[in-house]
Amino acid sequence: MKKNTKNLILVALITSLALVAFVIEASIPPLTPIYGIKLGIANVFTLFALYYLGKKEAAAVTVLRIILGSIFAGQAVSFIYSMCGGILSLLLMILLKKYFTVNKLWALSGLCAVVHNFGQIMAAVFMTGTIQVMVYFPILVISGIIAGVFTGLCAQFALMHLKKQNNNHF
Amino acid sequence: MKNSTWIIIFSVVIVICCGLWLLISNSSYSFKIVGIYQNGELVERINLDTVTEQRKIILNGDHGNNTILVTNEHIKMESADCPDKICVKHGELTENTTPIVCLPNRIVIKFENSNNNSDVDIKAGAAG
Repeated sequence: MKKNTKNLILVALITSLALVAFVIEASIPPLTPIYGIKLGIANVFTLFALYYLGKKEAAAVTVLRIILGSIFAGQAVSFIYSMCGGILSLLLMILLKKYFTVNKLWALSGLCAVVHNFGQIMAAVFMTGTIQVMVYFPILVISGIIAGVFTGLCAQFALMHLKKQNNNHF
Repeated sequence: MKNSTWIIIFSVVIVICCGLWLLISNSSYSFKIVGIYQNGELVERINLDTVTEQRKIILNGDHGNNTILVTNEHIKMESADCPDKICVKHGELTENTTPIVCLPNRIVIKFENSNNNSDVDIKAGAAG
């Protein structure tokens, strides 16, 4: 199979998986009254695409997942929040990829989750016009690190397992 | 960098943020402006930080009177003529997410976002 076709199919597959994870997660009621604390399982697939396929593919998966996810599970407002957080964390991910090998993926993911929450809170500051929203930032940093490390470990285990299966891909 | 380095960095950040969160939640820097609504209309807006002496606001509704007690930094429904007294049992208004509600007389007491009332920062004693 040509490489382009294979990449196209893999991007489509990973996007649909990320979308399913996103929709399922959106239907779970929030654990806390603070908006923004969630696991972000869809991020596993972005990280996976970044290391398994490449930067362009990871960007495609993230942007498509956010657009489609907002259509299926969210409102127009959540689209803006997701976009701000998603693009910021994606940029950081792409910039720092060369400094992190697969077995340090969990650390990169933790950083990205913090940046993601920072982007969302900046969007909230901009949308509501209240700087007071920043009050939630410390708690979002904590939840971001925990959730990010978890999703990073998920992607890391998946990648390491695949690496064992077919050594030639890396 | 080693895995252990990252674990230390993340732990330190978490601890710092816990400290910040405790600091913020203990300080008075929070939503201190409350709005009292009846039938969906604003009756009064109070900045709880500027309240110096306690006072009572009495609202008349279809089902009797409600007495709201305002003291420095606290607001609560002191008494109500309705049978269930859910608003009285609610106690003081503490959380941003759960307003004090009196359904029979359609009264809502809740914290306000401070962006949309910068021009009408009414001090205690202006009405009621």
